[in-house]
Amino acid sequence: MSPVPISYCREHGMLKYAIRRILISIPILLAVVTLIFFLVRSMPGGPAVAVLGDYASKETIEALEKEMGLDIPIWQQYLVFLRGLLSGDLGKSLINGMPIAPQVARVLPYTLELTLSSAIFGILFGIPLGVFTALRRNRMFDYVGRTLSLAGISLPSFFLGILMMLVFSVKLDLFPVVGGGDIRDPIDSLHHLFLPGLTLGLMMTAYITRTTRSSILNVLREDYVRTARAKGMRERIVIYGHTLRNALLPVVSLIGVYAIVLIGSSVLVEIVFSRPGLGKMMVGAIGRRDYMTLQSVMVVYAGLVVIINLLTDLSYGLIDPRIRYD
Amino acid sequence: MKQQMRLITTKLAMVLAACVLMISLSFNYALSAGDQVLRMANKYGDAKSLDAHRATGSQDRLIVDLVFNGLVCYQPGNLSVDAIIPDLATEIPSSKVLDDGRQQWVFKLRQGVMTHPYDGNPGYELTSEDVVYSLQRAADPKRSSFAVDYSGMTFEATDKYTVQVTLDQPISAFLFLPKFANRGGGLIVAKKALEDKGDDWFKTHPVGTGPFVFKEYIPGEKVVLTRFDKYYKGTPKLDGVEWYYMPSDSSRELALQKGELQVIEGPKEQAWAEKVASYPGVVVDSPNSAETIIAHFNMTVKPLDQLKVRQAIAYAISRKEFVAVYGPKVSSPIYGVAPVGRMIAGLSREEAAKENLVFEQDLAKSKSLLAEAGYPNGFSLEVFTSESATYRRAYELLQAQLRKIGIDIKLSVVDHSTFHARIRQNLDPIVFYAAMRPNPDVILTQFYLSDSIVVTGKKAITNFSHIGEVDADGDGQIDSLDDLIVRARLEQDSTKQVALWKEAQLELLRKMVSYPVIAIGYIFARSPKVDWGYEMITITDGPNPTEKTRLLP
Repeated sequence: MSPVPISYCREHGMLKYAIRRILISIPILLAVVTLIFFLVRSMPGGPAVAVLGDYASKETIEALEKEMGLDIPIWQQYLVFLRGLLSGDLGKSLINGMPIAPQVARVLPYTLELTLSSAIFGILFGIPLGVFTALRRNRMFDYVGRTLSLAGISLPSFFLGILMMLVFSVKLDLFPVVGGGDIRDPIDSLHHLFLPGLTLGLMMTAYITRTTRSSILNVLREDYVRTARAKGMRERIVIYGHTLRNALLPVVSLIGVYAIVLIGSSVLVEIVFSRPGLGKMMVGAIGRRDYMTLQSVMVVYAGLVVIINLLTDLSYGLIDPRIRYD
Repeated sequence: MKQQMRLITTKLAMVLAACVLMISLSFNYALSAGDQVLRMANKYGDAKSLDAHRATGSQDRLIVDLVFNGLVCYQPGNLSVDAIIPDLATEIPSSKVLDDGRQQWVFKLRQGVMTHPYDGNPGYELTSEDVVYSLQRAADPKRSSFAVDYSGMTFEATDKYTVQVTLDQPISAFLFLPKFANRGGGLIVAKKALEDKGDDWFKTHPVGTGPFVFKEYIPGEKVVLTRFDKYYKGTPKLDGVEWYYMPSDSSRELALQKGELQVIEGPKEQAWAEKVASYPGVVVDSPNSAETIIAHFNMTVKPLDQLKVRQAIAYAISRKEFVAVYGPKVSSPIYGVAPVGRMIAGLSREEAAKENLVFEQDLAKSKSLLAEAGYPNGFSLEVFTSESATYRRAYELLQAQLRKIGIDIKLSVVDHSTFHARIRQNLDPIVFYAAMRPNPDVILTQFYLSDSIVVTGKKAITNFSHIGEVDADGDGQIDSLDDLIVRARLEQDSTKQVALWKEAQLELLRKMVSYPVIAIGYIFARSPKVDWGYEMITITDGPNPTEKTRLLP
């Protein structure tokens, strides 16, 4: 799709709309951050107990909590956190004292490459499959496509991931099991990304196939499609010129939702494939009750969700010129 | 046109597939190129602290043991105190009692031991200054998780290679030496590195004198160690060790099968061991450990405050069923809180039987005791368990066994950290605790001394039963083991000391303060190419490579 011309943005108030949405996102993010901050601290067991384990005596817990700065009132901790967040500082891990921002910066590309590649895979395969199954409704191709997409939705990602590793890594010896590769080396990175990307991508494909199929079937029943056919237009133009573009609007809307589901599913895929990523970081932080790391990762997740929602909303206008942003 | 398009698409697909295949094969070749790096994976999500004096979890102990040395050490693969040998010290020290009643031990240090290089510093010779600094740090509750082990001790460097340890109260060598071995707080850190870089830095950049030098910690992923060429026992045969954090059991198994890892930790279950052993090219080891599973009865909760109720529960428990569930190759029944055959002063079945304190399953007797206690139809109890398989299985089995005598255990599951927090808040009426402690004194002190009572104790830790502040046998008197525990600790004669420890264990059974169920071993799977370089008899946190460990071609 060609870049959006500025004149278009001005005409449709797209920029204004984007700025307004970003401004609206700020109180939403603040509410989410506050909720996360207090939810994280409501978990039973603190970081001191998690670190000390069997050696968690009253005396050692108190000493360690003091060292971690958890002895100050919670509202003060909240203000410190907010102040840090506003200045772009996510703080330090309570457990190992390492700054969190560089850790997030290190793993975020792994999560992004995983979710993006899966989303692209899902769009590239899901939309054509959805179109084909819709055009061959109630025929063998449709039945097979629907069954496979149902399987794709039903199979848990961790199970599919393990199956993938068993076949492609252990039996065929094609792909590695451990790690995410060197992100600076595109070939190594792709080599490590292939199986996890495929695992999530298949799930995304299944979702998009089903949505596209039902959307196409709905549009095919519209009067303008019937009119186009009656005018003797070629079927290819009817399908790709008239039907698909109109059918894509709900698909795009749901792709946004599925992308958020994808980010959630990436947690399990990162664990199964032992890939670095926000999900793995989050699970580790939960186990260690590392409040600072946990709340920072959640804030990043919340930010990603807001961005995806914004991009989804903005993309409507590109597909459907009837949509106005003012 | 259509045909041409199809042809181009087919060719493109073939080229793409060929590229993927070639890249994969070349990478796999690179991976399998025979290096001497041992790659191991544990079940944890991440490290907690790599600081020798903060590393309490197994995932951290396994790493710090490779980076640091103690003044003395356990022989590799053998956790018996008899197997303690000199490490940074030249010999096992002897003690003398001073005129004022205090006790003094003198360590002579090995000369020429080098610390690891760190942050541009090439390393330096370890001296008594480092040792005293390290021991003082281990004894400081603000900087160490092991401080309680060193209370009442002072440390002094009398010359460059001599360190004197003075104790307010004399203890036996059996209790003294493990505190200075390569477990707990006895690991010696590089003073200059800590002073230069600080405690926070040290949590993720350990600097010691061990066979492997810390190279890199990637949070949530792995720790990379490289061999220390100047290691005083000789250059390690391995080029390095990589420890991966992989919480998924299946992923660890697959990585081992594929050869990306050489050693993996597994759940402590015989079924898992048998499954993994059936994979080609995989060997399963299950060395002993002194880890036990013991049920502690909270005597402040009704009706567990009645001795007869606790005895009824004891008679309803079948150790045989526990062994069957965990697997006979992995677990064995125990009759005292110190596991027999795995720890000194372990109480044998015969010794318990002499006093009729074996408590084998006898449902008729159990029901009769319940009726005598006023609960002929049983009762219900709300209990929670950790999600950890080791704990959950124990609780579920207990639930099934107690159902037979009418006790309805309403079981809820919480995550492991929550479990640890809540049992320390006195919230669970029956606490199954799986733990490994180095000797009977630590077990008795942490679980049965009145100071250790959860919430109310002066040094509250893991006395879940509340022995020491309750009337355990219904005679109107507070029952305490404090005197017996302290007497045993201070006893210098090892025979008498063992007798006192056994007496304390019998007393626990008489009052049915806790029920010793089973001892469980450690299980890990490895490639047959891993040659540890020592015999593995008993281990604690997991297998440790040494300077002699190598990968066979």
